[in-house]
Amino acid sequence: MKIFNKKFPNIFLNKRKFYTKSSDKTSFFDERIIVEKKSFFREWDSKRSKLAAALSNGISQIGIKEGSVVLYLGASHGYTPSFVSDIIGDSGFVFCVEISPVVARDLVVICEKRKNMTPILASANHPETYKQLVVEADIVYQDIAQKNQVEIFLKNCNAYLKKEGFGLLTIKSRSIDITKKPKMIFKEVMKVLEEKMTVVDYRTLEPHEKDHALFVVKKK
Amino acid sequence: MVDFKKLRINNILLAKKTIREAVCEDDFIINSINNIEDLAKVANVLCKRLRQWYSLYLPEMYNKIGDNEAFVRLVLKKDKNTLMKELKLSETMGSDLSKNNLKPILALASRIDSLYTLRNELKDYLKKIMGVYCKNLLTLAGTVLGAKLIESGGSLKKLALMPSSTIQMLGAEKALFRHLKSGARPPKHGIILQHPLVGGAPKNKKGKAARLLADKLSIAIRTDFFKGEFIGNKLKEELKKRLK
Repeated sequence: MKIFNKKFPNIFLNKRKFYTKSSDKTSFFDERIIVEKKSFFREWDSKRSKLAAALSNGISQIGIKEGSVVLYLGASHGYTPSFVSDIIGDSGFVFCVEISPVVARDLVVICEKRKNMTPILASANHPETYKQLVVEADIVYQDIAQKNQVEIFLKNCNAYLKKEGFGLLTIKSRSIDITKKPKMIFKEVMKVLEEKMTVVDYRTLEPHEKDHALFVVKKK
Repeated sequence: MVDFKKLRINNILLAKKTIREAVCEDDFIINSINNIEDLAKVANVLCKRLRQWYSLYLPEMYNKIGDNEAFVRLVLKKDKNTLMKELKLSETMGSDLSKNNLKPILALASRIDSLYTLRNELKDYLKKIMGVYCKNLLTLAGTVLGAKLIESGGSLKKLALMPSSTIQMLGAEKALFRHLKSGARPPKHGIILQHPLVGGAPKNKKGKAARLLADKLSIAIRTDFFKGEFIGNKLKEELKKRLK
């Protein structure tokens, strides 16, 4: 097990696969767990997680480090949030926002096991509804397949992101407009983001995800 | 410094409460319609097996009785001689099976019969809850189609917010996106083809019938969602008049 890159703390590489250091050896999603020198490493599949896909495509900065407070929009079953909670460690915290009660059942089970995660059942489209349940975050991560996903992201960044905090936005171009080419949509998204934020980096997620991209922005 | 420990415990309790309270009629309807469809599928597969097996005993039944449910009932209720009399057969190609060999066939038939009864019970249950929850939709579309619309729309609320042209296309997503992407011909109807007024219309009138039905369905669903009066019969009559 070796450190993947000095820029990304707590992310490890072993035989071309990502791992994060976990506090216990429970496997929530049937992922492989390697025990090395009395610490547990959970395998992070790039096919299931868009953040891991962006890392393997060589993104230059994600901003998540030990002790960060992360607002995670579109947590779903909690696959990627569980790895984010590994990276930030015990001193950090993840708020997982999810709207569907069906998938949130799995999310609640994971949040009960992990000391630095909490579920929030609310629509990310209306940030004011969970005003009392979250605090200002260092990082806003969004993975929502909606037509107005950029608008939702900007609303949440305005409300909850600290100054000079990082925002990570995954775009599913097919849910914005199916008739346009993904490249054109990514260009338009870039234009909208550049008006209000500084775009640090962006990567398309081929071959792990089709017609997806991940944007990293910094609040001015 | 924010007290994350307290916040976390509070949020977990709140999330559990929200999940508990999110259960509503939509979930009952969606689960029962999915069950009805799967039961019908399983019963059909098993019935095909039963027909093949029973053909060793009385092969003439295979083609004479088309309906699966009736076939199972006949196998269970009547013995070989009465069946031959009813089908007006003087002789049969089937061999006389001993009681020992006939027993598993009848056991399979009784299980399939219980599947059909379960399906009918579920349909009655569905009709009952839909009669309270969405009476207009039930009158206009019928039990199975109404429930299927709610299933593919997600919930009654989502259906009420949809334009009627979207309701017309529900279930034809593949054809619709093919049309949007490559300019192929657009689909005329999705699952509302199952309605007798659309499915029974002549071929060149099917698109018109689907459009009209979707319009009326949209009105009915919105009246249901906003707890309006009962206008199902009126809508149905208007629809029939237009389609004459």
